[in-house]
Amino acid sequence: MKKLLILLLSLTMVFGLVGCNKENNDSGNNNNSANPLAGTYNIKMWVSEVAGVKELFQKHIQEFCDANPGVVINATIEGVTEANAATLVLNDVETAPDMYCFAQDQLARLVQADALLVAGTAAAEEVKKVHDATSVSCATFGDKVYAYPITGDNGYFMFYDKSVVKAEHLNSLEDIIADCEAANKQISFELENAWYTAAFFIGTGCKNIWTANPDGTWADVDDTYNSAEGLVAMKGLEKITKSKAYVNSSKGDDATGSAVIVSGTWATDTIKKIWGDNYGAAALPSFTVDGKTYHLGSFSGIKMIGIKPSNDNVRNAVLQQLALYLSSEKCSKDRFDQFSWGPSVKAVQESDAVKNDVALTAFYAQSAYAIPQGQINDGWWGIAGGLGASAKTAKSEADLKKALEDYQAAVEGLVGLEGYVFVGAWNGWNNSDKTFKLSKNGDVYTIELDVPQSDYMGGRIVSITTWENDKGCAQVVNGKDLINEPDPANNPDNNIIFKAAGKYAVTYNETSGEISIEKK
Amino acid sequence: MDKKKQHMGMKAKTRLSNGIIYTALTIISIIWLFPFFCLVCESFRCESTYQVEYIIPQKWGFDNYINLFTKTDFPIWFKNTFIIALFVSVLQTIIVLCMSYTLSRLRFKSRKPLMNLMLILGMFPGFLSLILLYKLLSSWGMTNANSIPGLILVYVASSGMGYYVSKGYFDTIPRSLDEAARVDGCTRAQVLTKVILPLAKPIVIYTILTAFMGPWGDFMLANYVAHATSAGMNVAVGLQNMIGTSSSMAANYTMFCAGGVIVAIPITILFMALQKYYVEGVTGGAVKG
Amino acid sequence: MTEYNNKNISIFSDLNDLDYLRLSKLQAIGYDVVHFFKKIPTFFVNLFKAAIAIIKGFFVKIKDECVDIVTTFTNGDWKTKVSYLVMGFGSIARGQILRGLLFLVFEIVFIVYMAVAGFYWLGKYSTLGTLKSGSVYDPILDTYVRVEGDNSFKILLYGTLTILFIIAFIYTWRLNVKQNRIAESILKSGKKLKSGKEDLQSMMDDEFHKTLLALPVFGIFTFTVFPIIFMILVAFTNYDAAHDGYSNLFTWVGLSNFNSLFSINTGTDNLSFAFGEILSWTLMWAVLATFTNYFLGMLVAIMINKKGIKFKKMWRGILVLTSAVPQFISLLYVSKMFAVNGVLNGILVKWGIIHDLSEYLRLWESPTTARIMVVLINVWIGIPYLMLIATGILMNIPTDLYESASVDGANTWQQYTKITLPYMLFVTGPYLLTSFIGNINNFNVIFLLSGGGPTNPKLLTSAGAAGDTDLLITWLFKIVNGAGSKYYLASVIGIMIFVVVASLSLIVYNVMPSTRNEEDYS
Repeated sequence: MKKLLILLLSLTMVFGLVGCNKENNDSGNNNNSANPLAGTYNIKMWVSEVAGVKELFQKHIQEFCDANPGVVINATIEGVTEANAATLVLNDVETAPDMYCFAQDQLARLVQADALLVAGTAAAEEVKKVHDATSVSCATFGDKVYAYPITGDNGYFMFYDKSVVKAEHLNSLEDIIADCEAANKQISFELENAWYTAAFFIGTGCKNIWTANPDGTWADVDDTYNSAEGLVAMKGLEKITKSKAYVNSSKGDDATGSAVIVSGTWATDTIKKIWGDNYGAAALPSFTVDGKTYHLGSFSGIKMIGIKPSNDNVRNAVLQQLALYLSSEKCSKDRFDQFSWGPSVKAVQESDAVKNDVALTAFYAQSAYAIPQGQINDGWWGIAGGLGASAKTAKSEADLKKALEDYQAAVEGLVGLEGYVFVGAWNGWNNSDKTFKLSKNGDVYTIELDVPQSDYMGGRIVSITTWENDKGCAQVVNGKDLINEPDPANNPDNNIIFKAAGKYAVTYNETSGEISIEKK
Repeated sequence: MDKKKQHMGMKAKTRLSNGIIYTALTIISIIWLFPFFCLVCESFRCESTYQVEYIIPQKWGFDNYINLFTKTDFPIWFKNTFIIALFVSVLQTIIVLCMSYTLSRLRFKSRKPLMNLMLILGMFPGFLSLILLYKLLSSWGMTNANSIPGLILVYVASSGMGYYVSKGYFDTIPRSLDEAARVDGCTRAQVLTKVILPLAKPIVIYTILTAFMGPWGDFMLANYVAHATSAGMNVAVGLQNMIGTSSSMAANYTMFCAGGVIVAIPITILFMALQKYYVEGVTGGAVKG
Repeated sequence: MTEYNNKNISIFSDLNDLDYLRLSKLQAIGYDVVHFFKKIPTFFVNLFKAAIAIIKGFFVKIKDECVDIVTTFTNGDWKTKVSYLVMGFGSIARGQILRGLLFLVFEIVFIVYMAVAGFYWLGKYSTLGTLKSGSVYDPILDTYVRVEGDNSFKILLYGTLTILFIIAFIYTWRLNVKQNRIAESILKSGKKLKSGKEDLQSMMDDEFHKTLLALPVFGIFTFTVFPIIFMILVAFTNYDAAHDGYSNLFTWVGLSNFNSLFSINTGTDNLSFAFGEILSWTLMWAVLATFTNYFLGMLVAIMINKKGIKFKKMWRGILVLTSAVPQFISLLYVSKMFAVNGVLNGILVKWGIIHDLSEYLRLWESPTTARIMVVLINVWIGIPYLMLIATGILMNIPTDLYESASVDGANTWQQYTKITLPYMLFVTGPYLLTSFIGNINNFNVIFLLSGGGPTNPKLLTSAGAAGDTDLLITWLFKIVNGAGSKYYLASVIGIMIFVVVASLSLIVYNVMPSTRNEEDYS
């Protein structure tokens, strides 16, 4: 009897699930003939959790409705920090809010998960016209605009305690460290977080540029961290991380113990409160290695608002207009006035009020050395953050070099089949020679060979036509060597390693010199 | 004479060892209470809202408490948690008692397999279920602002697994009592309500108390289920959110401490009032469970 | 005397009880240890045998069931035969209307469900969807519009539910057949069948356990068993942030996720290395956390319960009170106290113990101190509970044991090692095991205190970074909430945690010299 009861109850559950499966759309009833967008829209929106932001956005939405007769938007606004918004959205795209603010480092993930509505042609033009180049590049993925800039100040610079750091020392990292150590004060610089670690590498001119496929997957990376310049950056990192004053942090309330904090505008209020009259802000300093001086670079980025795609075109169009309004000059100015958020709108950046703000002045001073963050593979952050930790524990230059080598191997591991790892080599050349390049078009993966055909493997690769994992050529599985010769005994060293699961057909085109790998 | 000396020696020794124990207990008590003392001090600090490296505030006041109730959603979070705790403490107690009584007193074919199954289930990290539980609740509309019934459902539904302590307690009640009652013509249901339950008062109160306390500290599931909707948060998620980022932490840290103190108050009062039963429950149940 | 007794006894040979008792204390312990390890191979052999027996038993059972189904049909009357198609018919025809109706309703619901939804989900189950959602451009409104496709997550969810439902149906159908056979034989022997009312009455008496267990077991199946089944299935797919099922489909990938965890990789993305490192710290932590709490908790309990100590209730109260404050507050707060800019360093500076920045205690920044700190703070959190348990046990130890021991001249330490400790260990053996398992999965303490830090560059994998104090469970959390949200990898690690915990428990349960019988304390 009990069993029966259980079954019956589980049944109601199954039905409950099925019942709820049907989507109920609450889109507006378009009964106003004058405005094609007219209707009532219930939307959910996530904005910054900072006190007062919700109210301001609510006010802006009301203004938008007033300007568009017939459009009524009932917005439920929640405060969610921009750093977490993307993760929460990706937990469940289906029930995610209709519009949400996020920081630009999350864009790639969101695009990949189809969680952002692509801006229409006219809307994209509008974004490009109103905002500065950095902001536009941050909101763009591939060649499409996916989001609408809200702030343009998502970058870091240096806050300093005027009573500790002498004004003439501001430009030298070594002097700053000496000042702080002498005063028994700490330096907060979150160098185990790649966003900050990169300051040293950008400063020495190292590159880390990612190319994306249109569908949001990664095609390639141009990375020069493992180089002479990279080693210089590591030595710079070593200098500060090994100082007794160094603290791996970027919190505003560190100001109680620190005299220097590398952080962004979000920390301004707290630091101002703690330091009072000694509050100062400046661009990051320079550091000297082997007699040469390098100015610390930084990432500059933005925070933006995105729209979740829905299957209702009118609704999408309305939200697109609303997003454009929220990122417009008027709203941008309001946000600056109320929260001192640095604008991404060119017109507002020119205003005197912005130019007189200490923190923003420092931010704009640093932006001469900053690079737009662009789009970066999510996996990179963890890998590059490790460089700071490695510099701190390194005992010799060899350790620094080793850290960079490991870094490179890990980064190269991020490019590849659907975000998996492609490491390995054909006979006679290995991956550090960079003699091949992997690209993907649809389901076909192509390896371009940069070396003359005669230089590799004595031409043996030509003999391969079709190559399937289930036809005697070992398996294409994680970490297992894949022998590219039908008889492994003849050719034990010719291997390619795929770290992606699945079956592949590999074809070599004799005339074009291309090897294509097709996922089955 | 000799004997007396020895006796005196014993007494001195006892006094010495007692002295050591008193000192040790005093030190332990200080270590145990010190963080809470700091927490309370911080909650009354008015001169700043961020973390500082000293303990005694320079300016005392109720600012943090006032702000907590007027400027944040804390009253909503508190109410949510209180409702959840209330429902859970009743429903979970019923479930746990059903489960533990049955497994302790009744003998039936699937008893051992059932206990083994639950032992095995307990070995899976529960965290992984969260993803699916969230999706299930979400498809039933029990997330975001409606997360309270969802949370109650999940807490109560999986509470059967936590039968060990109270089963241990039931095991200590002599089975001859049941048999005597059965001989007198009681049905099994009557044995439970008329004979066993009155004897099991400490474990019932212990179960209610622990069930009531659980929801106050749950962060993982509640965080998933509230999905950033303030109206659906419990105190743990709400307070955690207040200090979630470094800038909000600097602005809200002392308020967070005040929240912590307020959350601790009802539980502490309950605890003090029911301490006797809690101790009896743990000592009677946990050991034998 | 001792020498003489022991001259023919080796602790490596199997001894009978009498010989065992003749061993000295040290030898007895040695004997226990040796035999613990000696038993392990036999244990695995037995385990293997048991597994084979279970599998064999399963097939035999299936065979028996089939035979029974056939014979019931051939020997049964027409009511029974109709019941094979229309469930519950036999029961209704024989007057057990309540039972019959339940069967019938269940069958109807099942058929309707399968027709409406079940077959749809099952059809897509093998691929987890083929039609990806996309978007089209609407030039009039200058906007893109989403075009819905398959949703792998829902297919996996509802498909699995459907399969469970089918299993439930088969089971119920079998129950229905059995009911018929039993009813027939009862009627044949001239007895009367139970009426619906009697059925209900027995639910409060002979079948009382069914009434009591129905709700809890249902809850456990829905909210514990089903999610675990689902989690295990996810380990065989490529479900992650890039394949979330809603926008990008995910699919079955077989065992390759397990391969990636266990293959020795040439790149730096060495999951197996990270797994090994984190697993060994997890086990180390579990041992340390369990035993520090256990022995210190016992010590505190002994101190408080010592004869002549006053204010017992107050001491106990102070300790227990600390567990009234939710852990997320107390642990977070304590973690901040020990930070570089925290209260601890502030006090040390104020008292003039440290003057220079280089002397600041950076407890969370080196692996060793961070590990020591989490263990110590765990003691702070765990002792009150242990103290209560130990108190309970200490009160149960008969006082005359101690009295006779002190008459014999045993000092406090001897009393402790000869009486208290063995008794405690004997009684709390199972508790130690559960608390060990609990510590393996102790998310709160690690996550709230150190967040797994300090970051260890060696533990970096494509699934995300890990730190020196990360346990498997916190690593798993980081993987799920990290950039790639590799749910599939998290599931694999979850299964591995289960395997570790289960094998440890199995070994301990079966090999421990004194596995306690549940009925001993009744």
